[in-house]
Amino acid sequence: MANILWLQGGACSGNTMSFLNAEEPSACDLVTDFGMNILWQPSLGVELGDDVKNILTNCVSGETKLDIFVFEGSVVNAPNGTGEWNRFCGRPMKEWVRELCDAADFVVALGDCATWGGIPATAPNPSESQGLQFLKRENGGFLGGGFTSKAGLPVINIPGCPAHPDWVTQILVAIATGRAGDLALDEFQRPKTFFQSFTQTGCTRNMHFAYKVSTTEFGQRKGCLFYDLGCRGPMTHSPCNRILWNRVSSKTRAGMPCLGCTEPEFPFFDLAPGTVFKTQTVMGVPKDLPTGVDKKGYIKLTGAAKAAMPAWAEQDIFVV
Amino acid sequence: MSQVQTLDISPVGRVEGDLDVRVDIEDGVVTNAWTSAELFRGFEIILRDKDPQAGLVVTPRACGICGASHLTCAAWALDTAWGTEVPRNAIIARNLGQLAESLQSLPRHHYGLFMIDMCNKNYKNSPFYEEAVKRWAPFTGTNYEHGVTISGRPVEIYAMLGGQWPHSSFMVPGGVMCSPTLTDVTRSWGILEHFRTNWIESMWLGCSLERYEEIQTYDDFMAWLDEKPEHANSDLGMMWRMGCDIGLDKYGKGLDKFVSWGYLPHEEKYNKPTIGNRNQSIQMPSGVFDGATGTHKLMDQAKTREDVTHAWYDEGGGAKHPFDRTTQPISNNEHDFEKNYSWSTATVHEENGHLEAGPLARELIYGGDHMEDFQYKDGLVLDMYKKMGGANVLLRHFARMHEVKYIYRQIERCLRELRLDEPFYIKPKEQDGQGWGATEAIRGALCHWIEVEGGKIKNYQIIAPTTWNVGPRSAEEERGPIEEALIGTPIADPSDPVEVGHVARSYDSCLVCTVHAHDAKTGEELSRFKTS
Repeated sequence: MANILWLQGGACSGNTMSFLNAEEPSACDLVTDFGMNILWQPSLGVELGDDVKNILTNCVSGETKLDIFVFEGSVVNAPNGTGEWNRFCGRPMKEWVRELCDAADFVVALGDCATWGGIPATAPNPSESQGLQFLKRENGGFLGGGFTSKAGLPVINIPGCPAHPDWVTQILVAIATGRAGDLALDEFQRPKTFFQSFTQTGCTRNMHFAYKVSTTEFGQRKGCLFYDLGCRGPMTHSPCNRILWNRVSSKTRAGMPCLGCTEPEFPFFDLAPGTVFKTQTVMGVPKDLPTGVDKKGYIKLTGAAKAAMPAWAEQDIFVV
Repeated sequence: MSQVQTLDISPVGRVEGDLDVRVDIEDGVVTNAWTSAELFRGFEIILRDKDPQAGLVVTPRACGICGASHLTCAAWALDTAWGTEVPRNAIIARNLGQLAESLQSLPRHHYGLFMIDMCNKNYKNSPFYEEAVKRWAPFTGTNYEHGVTISGRPVEIYAMLGGQWPHSSFMVPGGVMCSPTLTDVTRSWGILEHFRTNWIESMWLGCSLERYEEIQTYDDFMAWLDEKPEHANSDLGMMWRMGCDIGLDKYGKGLDKFVSWGYLPHEEKYNKPTIGNRNQSIQMPSGVFDGATGTHKLMDQAKTREDVTHAWYDEGGGAKHPFDRTTQPISNNEHDFEKNYSWSTATVHEENGHLEAGPLARELIYGGDHMEDFQYKDGLVLDMYKKMGGANVLLRHFARMHEVKYIYRQIERCLRELRLDEPFYIKPKEQDGQGWGATEAIRGALCHWIEVEGGKIKNYQIIAPTTWNVGPRSAEEERGPIEEALIGTPIADPSDPVEVGHVARSYDSCLVCTVHAHDAKTGEELSRFKTS
């Protein structure tokens, strides 16, 4: 039995919507089979008004044991650090967040807004948004780098825009079944079990990457999206091509470039002119190379690739 | 002489985002109401000076449940700004994405957000109460569990087109990024049929879709309810009968004026999209329905106005078209219910004032005779509206669920009309320009205006359906649609005002989409854009 409180700050509720797509376990399974007691959730909770406030104050005071606090959305600090532009139950949400993080055994930041600040924190960040323990790549965020929850862990970051339902259900199952100790977090406090590998791991276009055959325009039935269309798959840590989305797909499988949404800088380059869906290059070499590959290595690799390329690689492969 | 009791309900949950409601109650009935949008993120500020295609990435994140609808608007806005050509397959693929998202939202909103309130202890004396709790209790109700879980299936179709749901950006100016194959289409058919067999017909209707489509009038619907126990005991039948029993047909009328942009461009009529030719190109017609006069007319985006009299802005000069606003936020956003009390502006029609957006609006508009011959017509909800004496909570929600009929048939049409050997994308020429993209999100009328200048976004404005619905009073002191709908609501127990929840959730409000952009630090004037 685990008590979970889930709140939204500067959010779109995309992570909640993604969570509701979960199967095995479904959101309902978590409650009925895994003993999760969802104290309140903004999209699903029964109570309104003062009844919600009472739930929160009971968690803060300790009268209700708060096992897991899930926060979705950014911490809004505007205007001028007061947080008044995101009020909840009559006071700035950031004040509730501070108190609830102190009260909870485990704190989970769900989705990019809560982990890094996300889209609201994109320049010029009008809402003065932060993630719980990071702002973009910088450790600190709202709670500060030194924060640990009652169970001794820092904020568990489940990034993504949104996060995949499995990334959150399985972490909740892990905590609820006593496997919190198995949670190995990387330097950005992401569970390694999901975020060690790359979006490119398992991508259906890997052979086209290998032979440097590019998808030159949208709507084509072949090619790798990295060379021209701005795909960040080789640089992004995610399991998107290992655990499929909505049971059937992933962006790169469907011909959409990976936007790197599990990484702290998302959206990249602050969406400056000329950067969206375009690979930026200098003298034909992409500015952002696959992780760990340097320019010399890239030139050797692609030179050999082009020389070895079989004729079939230029033909349509994802055919009717 | 009775006392006025003022109730502040903060938050009203099970709407998307943060909604606060204040009501005055006299003799157990709401006599005045104020709705307040409580969160500001500032998307249009973020988009200023960014890549012209930045809206394709950012605007779906205005809302987690309507991301495809925002993407549709963002893409069409760029198409009209850049003067692109969009191939028929791309129009179909975009429509299919919008429809898949809408189909998902039906059971998800119905069970996840709306029906739970039928299990409120206030209704324990209803003969339907025990069955309601068995079916619709949150997380444990039999039909809740089934409905919420199966709601994830339609968006698998979206994921095949765009890679994932929520939040893809697969609709781009000039077409779509994807190039679906035969198995994508056949798999989509399989998902659609599974959804029909395992929810629409078995749990929701208790009959075949074909039988349901025979219902044309209020009397037909009443006859359908009585025809077989399977109908009366289906979730639709139960919802209707319990709704009448607990009085949901007696309040929630609102302003009795409605708006829809219409949507689902026809694949052979909008290949050279412009702002001006949209009304004649869409399959589901646009409209304004005025209940007082019983008249329909087309909707024109040039008639949209935003009025900040009662919102947290300080701008002179009355209501303006969104692109003509100079946005000046008030830094101190304290509630002053006589003056400024919301981040939402009062979005109004220049001639008609506040209008209600949403499925009820759409369905009433489909009952009109103001549209093109090829456009969709359905008189059922208009007939029910007349027979019931106007709108109410129950009819508003019925209208939402009634859309399953055409959403399903439209998805079938899309899957049939795709020509897999034809193009899905025609590369556009990037240029400066002004554009407008619109759709009907499941929640109602949604649109984006964009101005591209010098290779970047000069101005970007979003009006969401909930902006229409949750807006505060206008300068003329006309209440917003939800505020008006709350008037006359009975409150049995002020410590648990579930009736306020029924009204707000019958609008399926989405607060996250609603709030606009302001340059907080400098109060700087946003660029101007004149619509012609």
